[in-house]
Amino acid sequence: MKHSYIKVWGDTVKPKTLVSSLFIIAFSTFFFHLLAPSGENNDTLGLFFGLFGAVFGFLITVFAFKPNRHITEEEDA
Amino acid sequence: MDPVLLIFMVGFALMAVILYTGIGFIPGTDETSVLMPITLALVLAGFEPVLILSFFIAAIVTLNLTNTMPTALVGLPGGVMSSAMIEHTLYIKANGNIAATIKKMAAASLIGVLIAVPVSLLLAQLLLPVADVISPLAPWLFVFGAIFLALISRHKILSLLSILPLAILFESLRALYWNLNIVPQDQTITVSFFLGITIGPLMFTLFNLLNKNIRSQETLEDKNTIVLPKDDKEKTSLNPLQVLNKEERSQLSLGALIVNTLFILSPVGLTILIGESFSKRHKDPLKKATMTVITMSAVIQATYISGIIIPLFALGIPLSPVAIGPGAALFNAPPVLSLDNNLHHLLSTTEFVVATIIGALVALSISYILISRYAKVITRFILKHIPHESVLGLFIAFILLLAFMDAGLINIFGVLLIGLFSGALNKMGVNFGVQFMALYAAPQLMQILAGG
Repeated sequence: MKHSYIKVWGDTVKPKTLVSSLFIIAFSTFFFHLLAPSGENNDTLGLFFGLFGAVFGFLITVFAFKPNRHITEEEDA
Repeated sequence: MDPVLLIFMVGFALMAVILYTGIGFIPGTDETSVLMPITLALVLAGFEPVLILSFFIAAIVTLNLTNTMPTALVGLPGGVMSSAMIEHTLYIKANGNIAATIKKMAAASLIGVLIAVPVSLLLAQLLLPVADVISPLAPWLFVFGAIFLALISRHKILSLLSILPLAILFESLRALYWNLNIVPQDQTITVSFFLGITIGPLMFTLFNLLNKNIRSQETLEDKNTIVLPKDDKEKTSLNPLQVLNKEERSQLSLGALIVNTLFILSPVGLTILIGESFSKRHKDPLKKATMTVITMSAVIQATYISGIIIPLFALGIPLSPVAIGPGAALFNAPPVLSLDNNLHHLLSTTEFVVATIIGALVALSISYILISRYAKVITRFILKHIPHESVLGLFIAFILLLAFMDAGLINIFGVLLIGLFSGALNKMGVNFGVQFMALYAAPQLMQILAGG
């Protein structure tokens, strides 16, 4: 079976993987952001928690999905 | 200066180097969206301004150097700036020795930083006496800046015509948020709006793909094939004076020197302009391509360094595309920093110079060696393990978060509106510089329109 790919920003992606990645990372970002303790420095903590959540979600997708590119290396002459 | 603070400055610069070496090698990571949110987080966290400055300088130096690596090695631009050199690196890859060229690019980048730091500090010092005259004129300067950038862009009439609609869009969203009491009257939303501009082209593409007809046209049967070039067997010196010959050194140095005086212009535009026009005189296409990418590597560093140092040190208002975009958090990050109380006002001359030099030197000494030796190993690792989908998801999540924090749920859709509109304009040919300037000029433009 042939998979279909789309080209976004110079590289190929699978539409389904792209949508799942978007949801996973966005969910994790907001999950952590809303978890941030409220207080005087709420904005700062909220931003830090959110950024952490974004990176956390990013790592989940890195482990869950494989990159959709072929990598070959030129042989030594 | 306090020695403890000096050690912390080195530490912050190191942190930036580690973080942005990783990000720089990931293809397609836009400079503004990776620099701005993290700098903003540090500012809001209340770290000392000197630490933030040395972090930021180390970050841009590292990012500009590492971004050129995936571009040269595998033909995927590491960021917006390095997309300028893509056709030339592809040519060298097909017809010449890309491994040797990469070492030259890294050396050129190093020289670019070493020229730009002292020159832009000097230029800023020269501008300082007239700063009091310039600063109150800022709203007008943004208006003229937008018109000026439109006039020197490739599509002049299109760009000119897009300024007012963009300004109306920004101001009407702000007015809406004030009216609905989502944002207090004395607060102006800027950060998430310009991230909306940055993400515009991506949003526009993704929305297009939701249309089935367009999607079936754009669908490919196979993945991208990426070819990693073979290694350069020769163990060459790391001394930039030996990596680059005299002709190369003089051309790139001249390029890096000139762009310092042109700091208000778009960095990508300048990089293309200087890189290509300086290399026109070479007849041999391979030599021409090599000279172009080397010059560009130096110019990229110089545009960023002068674009942040000169407005920050001399004026305190973001009067360059770099200051408006990636460096925005150093100028304006409510409630910690504002246009009347930012790094310009908080830092003494000595602090400013020391933080800049520490940031630049720490970044150069580490990333130059790392890249000259391990560019291919790092690129291979990133391409094998990091899906493009994750990178796109990370960006969009960053922007959703900042939009939400700026003005709640409604602003997520507000930023989407901006992204779609400015993305469409972008596809038509209105560059980021014009759009960013329109954002800053918007309040003044509305006053002119309403008054006239």
